[in-house]
Amino acid sequence: MSDTTSTLAKVFQPEVAPRKRRHNVALWLSLGWLILVIASAVLAPWLGFIGDPHKPLSGQPEEGPSWSNWFGTDQLGRDMFARSIWGGRLSLSIAGPAVGIGVVVGGVLGVMAGYFGKWIDLVVSSVVNVALALPALVFALFIVIVLGQSYTNVTIAVTILSIPAIARIARAQALRFAAREFVTVANMMGAKWPRLLFREVLPNVVPALASIAFLAMGIVIIAEGSLSFIGASVESPSITWGNILAGGRGKIEDAPHIAMITGGVMFVTLMALNFVGDEMLRRLDVREARI
Amino acid sequence: MLRFTGLRLAQLAVVVLVVTLLFYWMLNLLPGNPCVAAFGGAATEEQIAECERDRNLGDPVIVQWAKWGGDVLTGDFGKSYLTGRSFGEAISNALPRTLLLLGYSQVLALGFAIPLGLWTGYKKDSVADKIVSGGAFALLSSPVFVVGLVLILVFAVKLDWFSLSGYEPISEGLVPHLKVMVLPSVTLATGLLPIYLRLLRTDVIGTLQEDFVGTARAKGLPVRRVLTRHVLRPSSFTLLTIFGIQAAQAVNGAIVVEFLFDLDGVGSLLVSWVSAREFLLVQTLVALIAAVFVTVTTLVDLLYSVLDPRVRRK
Repeated sequence: MSDTTSTLAKVFQPEVAPRKRRHNVALWLSLGWLILVIASAVLAPWLGFIGDPHKPLSGQPEEGPSWSNWFGTDQLGRDMFARSIWGGRLSLSIAGPAVGIGVVVGGVLGVMAGYFGKWIDLVVSSVVNVALALPALVFALFIVIVLGQSYTNVTIAVTILSIPAIARIARAQALRFAAREFVTVANMMGAKWPRLLFREVLPNVVPALASIAFLAMGIVIIAEGSLSFIGASVESPSITWGNILAGGRGKIEDAPHIAMITGGVMFVTLMALNFVGDEMLRRLDVREARI
Repeated sequence: MLRFTGLRLAQLAVVVLVVTLLFYWMLNLLPGNPCVAAFGGAATEEQIAECERDRNLGDPVIVQWAKWGGDVLTGDFGKSYLTGRSFGEAISNALPRTLLLLGYSQVLALGFAIPLGLWTGYKKDSVADKIVSGGAFALLSSPVFVVGLVLILVFAVKLDWFSLSGYEPISEGLVPHLKVMVLPSVTLATGLLPIYLRLLRTDVIGTLQEDFVGTARAKGLPVRRVLTRHVLRPSSFTLLTIFGIQAAQAVNGAIVVEFLFDLDGVGSLLVSWVSAREFLLVQTLVALIAAVFVTVTTLVDLLYSVLDPRVRRK
């Protein structure tokens, strides 16, 4: 497989330009939106103004946004505002652990491959390259159906998908830093590999992994959304953004607000995740250039 | 070069074997008898016995897999025990739709990404670049099903330019065919376009710093010619590398898009077999898809080494 290690960085970070402070507003807006979405998802059961997402006839069915139902109602008259938040709650509670585990496992595998090289690198790189060359959704679908459509199994499926991409980036970063002069110097001063790996290389890989985590979060949310959109994620009555959209597709002529508002919430959330990840990547690279 | 090719092909064979075996083995983890499931729970003893014989269920997994491999290689892909329809029949109906969808969307995505990537790379930081790059960033954050729903609402429901009624082959006339294929293809292309565009733009910005570009400009060549003749090829390596991976990712999008637009392609077939629990067919289909994609990636890799001889020496 040819060297595509920097590809994701190239997609998300088109050029390394001298830092200008012009993105601050957008960055704070993105962070603000993410905090809002995460807080409402976490606190949904305790916040009074978020109604019961399963209660039918909270308003007239298929009505657009109004004062009593901010995001309108769906075909059964359920409150779309509550459903969007509860959908986000489930989608995020799948994506969060998936990315967390993905970053730890992918990070460890990637750093080991990049730092130790030899057969470890050969094994990790081959598996990663094959995994990336396969259509992810087909395999997620397969895993979920074989194991069963539960929360845990969907999380497992999307976690497995996130690992190779993260491992590839961690490997590239570890390779880059393992060759740096400060590592050579530490080595010459007699440091053994655990010190070199944990004190010299790893601290430099972690910031990149943190920014990649935001981008990976977006990718995992889309993957889970696709699964639920085709009816292969957690089964209803559980609410996810994907299955709200699948329901909204059938009502696109009579009640387009169902699909459009939920799609909009999802889109803004993904924008915010990508923007924060993108911005972190840029800033990290600038620091790298200044050293 | 010959040795490199041989090595890659051997690698390819190993990967295809391992991947298909893995899926065979995973399916064996399912509780219950796959043959009972294949009939939807309503089968006679003889039918189940026949299916078990077909699938060699008495043998160890590795022997089942080897026999399945032999069947597939000789063109016997099995059939649905539920409907009696053969795998080949279902696929030959679905495959052209999926291939057309993938083909149209790749052409659209590359057709827009290459000129836009060259232009925005050349006009870096201009207003036009900022608008195009911002748009690409927004598309990058849009799941295909959200884009698809917006396009359906605007162009099929409000404007009524396109129909949403299944599929029409080209043989039924170009206009009906385009009426059903334009929206799905555009939807899928929006997932690919921003990735191609941003990769190409980055590489074009890098290539424009090279001395030979300055020389070409100094000779008095028009900008257009410099961009298409001198800048494009050296800037397209990353794009080509990513193409294999993107081809696989396009299938993810295709599954969702086919579902969204009722296209009944390979992706819809997969989803319907999965929900009907026709695991024997799912297994064959997934294994074939895996084999096709590992092959595509390998071919792209080989092509890459033709374009860029430095790769061969590694």
